[in-house]
Amino acid sequence: MVLNKLLGICAKNGPMNSFKKYNLFVLIGAVLVLTFNACKKNIKEDEIIPEDSFDKSGMLANIGNNIIIPAYANLKISLDSLQASSNLFIANPTLSTLTKLQTIFSQTYKNYESTAAFEFGPAEDEYFRTNFNVFPCDTLQINSKISNADFILVAASDMDAKGLPAIDYLLYGSNKDNNIVLAKFTIDGHASNAKTYLGGLINELKTKCDAVNKGWSSSGGNYISAFKSTAGSDVGGSIGMLVNQLNYDLELLKNTQLGIPLGKKTLGVAQPTKVEALYSEQSLVLVAAHLKSIENIYLGRSTSDIEGLGLDDYLAHIGTQYESGSLNDAIKNKFSMAKNLLSLIPGTLTDAVISNASVVDAAYIALQQLVILLKVDMPSALGVSITYVDNDGD
Amino acid sequence: MIYKKISRLTEHVHIAPLSLFRILFGGMMFASILRFSLKGWINELYVKPIFFFKYYGFEWVKVPNETGLYILFALVAISALFIMFGLFYRFSALVFFLTFTYAELLDKTNYLNHYYFVSIIAFLMLFLPAGKYFSLDVYFRPSKKLTHIPRWFIGVIQLQLALVYFFSGLAKLNADWLLGAQPLQIWLQAHSDMPIIGFLMDKVWIAYLFSWFGAFYDLTIVFFLLNQRTRLIAYFFVIVFHVLTAILFPIGMFPYIMIICTLIFFSASFHLGVIEKIKKFFSFLQSGNEEQVKHYVYKPFVKKFILVFMVFHFTFQLVLPFRYLLYQGKLFWTEQGYRFSWRVMLMEKNAIAYFYVTDRDTGGSGEVMMNNYLSPNQEKMMASQPDMILQYAHFLKQKYQALGMKNPKITVESYVTLNGKGSRLFINKNVDLTLLSDSFENKWWILSPDEK
Repeated sequence: MVLNKLLGICAKNGPMNSFKKYNLFVLIGAVLVLTFNACKKNIKEDEIIPEDSFDKSGMLANIGNNIIIPAYANLKISLDSLQASSNLFIANPTLSTLTKLQTIFSQTYKNYESTAAFEFGPAEDEYFRTNFNVFPCDTLQINSKISNADFILVAASDMDAKGLPAIDYLLYGSNKDNNIVLAKFTIDGHASNAKTYLGGLINELKTKCDAVNKGWSSSGGNYISAFKSTAGSDVGGSIGMLVNQLNYDLELLKNTQLGIPLGKKTLGVAQPTKVEALYSEQSLVLVAAHLKSIENIYLGRSTSDIEGLGLDDYLAHIGTQYESGSLNDAIKNKFSMAKNLLSLIPGTLTDAVISNASVVDAAYIALQQLVILLKVDMPSALGVSITYVDNDGD
Repeated sequence: MIYKKISRLTEHVHIAPLSLFRILFGGMMFASILRFSLKGWINELYVKPIFFFKYYGFEWVKVPNETGLYILFALVAISALFIMFGLFYRFSALVFFLTFTYAELLDKTNYLNHYYFVSIIAFLMLFLPAGKYFSLDVYFRPSKKLTHIPRWFIGVIQLQLALVYFFSGLAKLNADWLLGAQPLQIWLQAHSDMPIIGFLMDKVWIAYLFSWFGAFYDLTIVFFLLNQRTRLIAYFFVIVFHVLTAILFPIGMFPYIMIICTLIFFSASFHLGVIEKIKKFFSFLQSGNEEQVKHYVYKPFVKKFILVFMVFHFTFQLVLPFRYLLYQGKLFWTEQGYRFSWRVMLMEKNAIAYFYVTDRDTGGSGEVMMNNYLSPNQEKMMASQPDMILQYAHFLKQKYQALGMKNPKITVESYVTLNGKGSRLFINKNVDLTLLSDSFENKWWILSPDEK
């Protein structure tokens, strides 16, 4: 190395010198370095890419047609029945219509989790994530909007008073007592406002979801066609967007669904009321559903559990190594480990961050390790640049 | 022999190459700044962020407010135009150099070798009489016109270009590049969906071919450009090489700047021909008169000054890229002595950094949720660069102190992957970064990629 660099200096001194002689020096230098390095290091054979190309458009078609579009379609189905069910409830608020509404709401929230990672294209246009799931909601703001008959939900300041978290609060309340919830819609002085507010919340979500469904559909905005055909890994390409959003979403999962309640942001002081779906107490079900949906994207696994081309196949094609095995296996194992550790958290998340913090922490750490593999190793292996803005590099 | 060489350098040649270089350089710079602002990067990179990573020794550089930023970039653009037209040349060149370099120093996150290259060229041009021919300055004051200058006035630009190419070639002589065809294997396969040549991008031998050709090209291209017999074919390769890099990699204007700048290796008659064409196109520029030969005459003091300066500059340029030898650890991993050395598109590096804060008084500890203070781009760039990690840790210390924590301890858990090798812990995660300060000394708290 050093010898070559010295030769390099010699060669640099004289652009005016006889160039042939120095060309020779350069060549000798290059050969020397090669021989040195060849003796020192031998290249791993498994780092070499197999000769046949990977079908990127096929992977995108699978993810688009069998994962993304069905995810929005399922959300639409549950939002439609949520609206129908809430209309019944509003017309006739009883314990029976309330529990039916609650059941459908739980399913809707779960279905939402499967769409959270696709905040590009139509969903980005609708600010899907912000409109659907900013938590915890601001109960004071919700109550004041109801008592003031303020049903407008479009301002940035309304972000904390709408979406699934607001419905969660209205349908379950903080007392875990359905009679008290029902009273808000029947005997309360603002009962009629509460009904209008609930109807408005659901209607807004339905409108947004319909728009996104239409945007993806080949008979609507046909985003699926653009998604399949721009297979690039750069910022504007589909693989670039998919990988970037998958990571952004996974970090949100780690930070907001587990980390913040666990007190990661507050010097270790747990924040049990900052969990997702605080009132319906289904936080853990939702985290699990969310993580599984991210795993599905990675594996190219459809909602009906059929595996097609996914990022796992792309990585396996490139053959990137991680420690003693393949990066693909390392990622799959980390998914299983994180899912497993999540399933070990007992009771509700609200209770667990207080009384079983170490169990929650173990799941959190596994998620963090998963983020490292998916956000650092995977993009680097695929040549995907992790930035959310376009910029020059060198 | 040596005397002959030196006399060749001081021999007078026609000024046309320098003059056309000025026009092309000014034009390219104007286009670059226009592109930069049209892409919204002034806003994205300098208005939006609330924290900026300063270069060591340039902590005094302040980021102006939004209006100030737009004025700064407008000045860069206008002075570039003035350089192109050769209007108030020296003054414009000075304004361009100062404003461009200031903008470059705003945030280390956006460091690019080609910005550094532009600064250097602008600085060199301050000393060259590039505005004395085919410029508005001589159009208005024909008495100022020069036709012949010492050869080395053109030589300094050629030498600077030679250094850029040569050092970037030298940096490619490493095992990953030559024997593993990395990072090109990773980068090229990402383009396998390209039209027409896409299928080739997935082939291993292509990655090897590109790697070896790239190294050979960088190391030798200047010699082929200097030789009159090989010049034309060499320039063909300049175009092929840089257009390919422009298509394959997100490196902005750099390829075009190099394609334009290397024209300086062509002969005076070539440049005169081009200037004639331009004159024909804009007929009002034609003077009709036969050109009067006028040589550049030094004032003795000026000659000495420029000469001493050039010797100093090029010695510095030759030594600076080797400063990494003074540091421990592998250069590509630690990046100690990496910048300002023409190491271009050499590694695929990706990283993540988790910061932790501990209140030394209460013992409470937590994670710092990063997106509050940094843009995703800053976050990514910082995570693999130790000096930036350290700078950010000090910023966090101040933030926590402002929030009332008297004794914050800040640690980082950072994972880095280099050229497709599995990510590794980068910084000693037990070290309290608030107790360290940045310096030119070896950063002992960077872990080796080989230890586990």
